Amino acid sequence: MTQPIPTSRPAGEAKTDEVLYGESFRIVGNDFEHGGEVATRVKAILKQLGFPTDAIRRLSIANFEAEMNVIMYAAEGSLELAVLPTAVRVTVSDRGQGIPDIEWAMQEGHSTATPEMRARGFGAGLGLPNIRRNSDEFNIESTVGVGTVLRYVVYANGKAGS
Amino acid sequence: MPHRTHAIVTDKEKCIGCVTCSMACPTKAIRVRSKLAEVDDELCIDCGTCMEVCRYDAMRPRTSSPADLKRFKYTVALPSLTLYAQFGKELHPGQALHALRKIGFDETYDISWMCEMVMGATDAYLSESTGPWPKISVTCPALLRLVQIRYPDLIPHLVPIETPRELAAKLRRRRVAAEKGLDPAEIGMFFITPCTAIIHSIVAPVGLEASHLDGAFSIADLYGPLLKSMKEDPGSDPVDSVSVRGLRWAMAGGEISGMRNANSMTVRGLHDVIYVFDRIEAGTFSSVDFIEAYICPDGCVSGGLTVAGRYTAQRNLQEAYRLLGDQTLVKEEKVRSLLREHFFDFEAEIKARPVRPLARDLREAIALKREKDALMERLPRKDCAACGAPDCETLADDIVRGKAQLSDCVFVRLEALEKERSAEQGGDHD
Repeated sequence: MTQPIPTSRPAGEAKTDEVLYGESFRIVGNDFEHGGEVATRVKAILKQLGFPTDAIRRLSIANFEAEMNVIMYAAEGSLELAVLPTAVRVTVSDRGQGIPDIEWAMQEGHSTATPEMRARGFGAGLGLPNIRRNSDEFNIESTVGVGTVLRYVVYANGKAGS
Repeated sequence: MPHRTHAIVTDKEKCIGCVTCSMACPTKAIRVRSKLAEVDDELCIDCGTCMEVCRYDAMRPRTSSPADLKRFKYTVALPSLTLYAQFGKELHPGQALHALRKIGFDETYDISWMCEMVMGATDAYLSESTGPWPKISVTCPALLRLVQIRYPDLIPHLVPIETPRELAAKLRRRRVAAEKGLDPAEIGMFFITPCTAIIHSIVAPVGLEASHLDGAFSIADLYGPLLKSMKEDPGSDPVDSVSVRGLRWAMAGGEISGMRNANSMTVRGLHDVIYVFDRIEAGTFSSVDFIEAYICPDGCVSGGLTVAGRYTAQRNLQEAYRLLGDQTLVKEEKVRSLLREHFFDFEAEIKARPVRPLARDLREAIALKREKDALMERLPRKDCAACGAPDCETLADDIVRGKAQLSDCVFVRLEALEKERSAEQGGDHD
């Protein structure tokens, strides 16, 4: 007689971290010319999938900031999109200089941008705080000289009107 | 079938079913089926691109006709400022207004002073607004449609001040009714338009319950009769009410040139609009206060229903500015009192009209997205548009939405045919 395999959840409850759709996008350091394209592509995918517009708006702001961070500070990186049943999880990892003091970098107005980056309208020191403000879960890990891994989640019906 | 409100119709006699318009359409709203270009009302922004590229004159604007004037006891023509730029650099706005009366309108009403009023009202609005920034001008109706369809999140950025043409029509109808003792409905207010988007904005207004205008004649249609009238009777109407500051609105950059707020920018042409609006959505333009944006490359002077080329038109306008001097008419106190009366306010909420997702259910939408990705692998990616859709990706989208079939692709059909033939030949030799 076979026993049903026990599950960790009560029957009928949906697994909320199940990845329904995933896609990975490459980001090239210093490629200002194509800056923002990954964020735009992700936005187009989520629109097709029918995510609420407010969630797409918040995620697009976060994705754009994260993408530009890789372009400005890293040699290369990637943005991994994971569509969950009621949320979107994004992981942006890069091979780059890393962030020596995350707490400092998380404060508004703190930036290590070069004058050249500032001339392009970046480097106001709002990137990371902006990503955190627009996401419902936020996590950052960084190793100096190795790179940074940024992970954030936007709920389909989270932080309305933020 | 619901009542069609769009300003461009396909002439079935003239359309040969080539795919030029379909490929040029910036919102991918056109499909060619059974040798006929069909416009998807949900996606069309009435920009007029299809009309401009059609070599067979098969995309026609739905303009008013002289018969429409007969429905009213009294008719008023409100010309777009662009009309003044059509007839050569020596021409004065007063001559164009005079000629308009001569060809059949009971009166003409210049809107340049209302443009100046709206510049003042926008300044006042910007100084009191709390964001979100930047604020975006609502002058260009094609742009407004684009925001509803593609950038619904930017609706709170739109300046909630009605356009000069609508405000001028509202005001003038009221005054004419009082002066002539007519019922407002007996007065016909007609705009002389440089573009199709304005025609659509009259039939299906955004930010208004109903338009204050009753119809629109195209500059191109009236150009001949006006020119003839000017030659026969070169008179001029008084132009005391023409504002040169307001007149600048005819060109891209003109709206902000008449405003006090200098932290603004002009975005010209659809390609640049998309570039900038993608970034406004991402939050990177929030240090700018105001954006004046046009789907046409130089603003209204480059509208699809004009006659003079946009470069000539701008030269003509520059000359008119020089001749008229720096004529400004609007008193700040007047703008403030009208603001208090809510004269400039939108009369209806602007609704988002986002493009439908692949499916309502997320899992189903993902399944269709995968199906679409798989179809892209099978399609040739030549974007030849022979299937009737403008490119392979749009065909794939149509297929998963049930609006087209894979066999619509000529390359796929050819491949199948070749496979069949080689299978037959293989059979012969076995």
